[in-house]
Amino acid sequence: MSRAVTGRSLGLFVCTRCRATVRAIAAAGQRCPRCHSPVHARRPQSLSTTASLVIAAALLYIPANVLPVMRTHTFFSDTDDTIMSGVISLAQSGSWPVAVLVFFASIVVPLLKLVAMGEILIAITRKSVRLPQQRSRLFRVVEFVGRWSMLDVFAMSLLVALVQVQSLATVEVRPAALAFAGVVVLTMLAAQSFDERLLWDSQNRG
Amino acid sequence: MPVIVCHACDLAHRVDKIAPASRVRCVRCRAELYRTGTAGVDTAIALALTGLVLFIIANTYPLVAFKVNGTTRMTTLTGAALGLYDQGYAALAVLVSFTAVLVPLTQILAFLYVLVPVRMGFRAPGQEGLFRILSALRPWGMSEVFVLGAIVALVKLSAQAEVSPHIALVAYGLLMFTLTALASVTPTEQFWQWVSRARQ
Repeated sequence: MSRAVTGRSLGLFVCTRCRATVRAIAAAGQRCPRCHSPVHARRPQSLSTTASLVIAAALLYIPANVLPVMRTHTFFSDTDDTIMSGVISLAQSGSWPVAVLVFFASIVVPLLKLVAMGEILIAITRKSVRLPQQRSRLFRVVEFVGRWSMLDVFAMSLLVALVQVQSLATVEVRPAALAFAGVVVLTMLAAQSFDERLLWDSQNRG
Repeated sequence: MPVIVCHACDLAHRVDKIAPASRVRCVRCRAELYRTGTAGVDTAIALALTGLVLFIIANTYPLVAFKVNGTTRMTTLTGAALGLYDQGYAALAVLVSFTAVLVPLTQILAFLYVLVPVRMGFRAPGQEGLFRILSALRPWGMSEVFVLGAIVALVKLSAQAEVSPHIALVAYGLLMFTLTALASVTPTEQFWQWVSRARQ
């Protein structure tokens, strides 16, 4: 297979903000002439930044799913809800479509992001990335669906504001909600700090 | 002949010229190299103004009402964020207000600030900085996720109490469509074409 003609081989950079192609100059701290963002051949420390964010998110994923995120006080009892028990009670009340939606947004998507990013990072550290096409596609899916995990945080914020009938029923946030929001934010930052070109570099070298 | 380097796989492409109303993908990794629209600056400004009006409605009127034992409770978006703050979860309150309120508003205002001068044929000072802010904020604007979250909350409560969506939720739903449309008529390449035309 012939060598791919890449920006690197031609001495060209692409601005990751505005996607202008710019001629690489020797000066450090080069900026894009169009939008003035810093441009680099590859984003500096992309791999280590992404890896640390993914690891931190993976650690938070455990309390976020095991511990209760919400507590409902009523006249008769206190009920603690984890993310999963929230999904189950939605399903039991007959709202199947909403239960499925929350299940995907809050449980499947964060897990998918962690597993996919972990797999991609390990593949890159092994130096030769096979199937870059498929891994690129996987990364783009992760990048696209990431924000939907905020769904439960928004739902919770409204429940807390609405259900405040003193002595009858109140809803209270529990600390695991912070861990859950942390997973969402950290995995989004991980996807943003990842330089997709790293998936193609072993191929680019030919 | 100009060259476009793919931002996702670094492959270099020879390009005759940037074609209007087209979407060009990388031949190797299928990433979008650029996209230009058929809509003009006027459409983008109209959408941004529509968004601004909807945003004001969505943030001043109540989103949902909750009726129990003859008393009705309503909440606005700010009320939802304040509820989190009052329970000691300032970080969550900041996250909710940032993604559902602050980012959409910044996007609308920044587009207006750059595009209205472009329409009148001059360039707004600091537009490069604003573009960088806009592009960094794109993934963090979550109006559509918020609308779905509100629906989830309504469904959860409807099992125990009488709940009803209010005017602000409708406005928020429309805002989500307006912002999606605004994003789709202002792809990066199109944005810079407008801006560079105004510079001449």
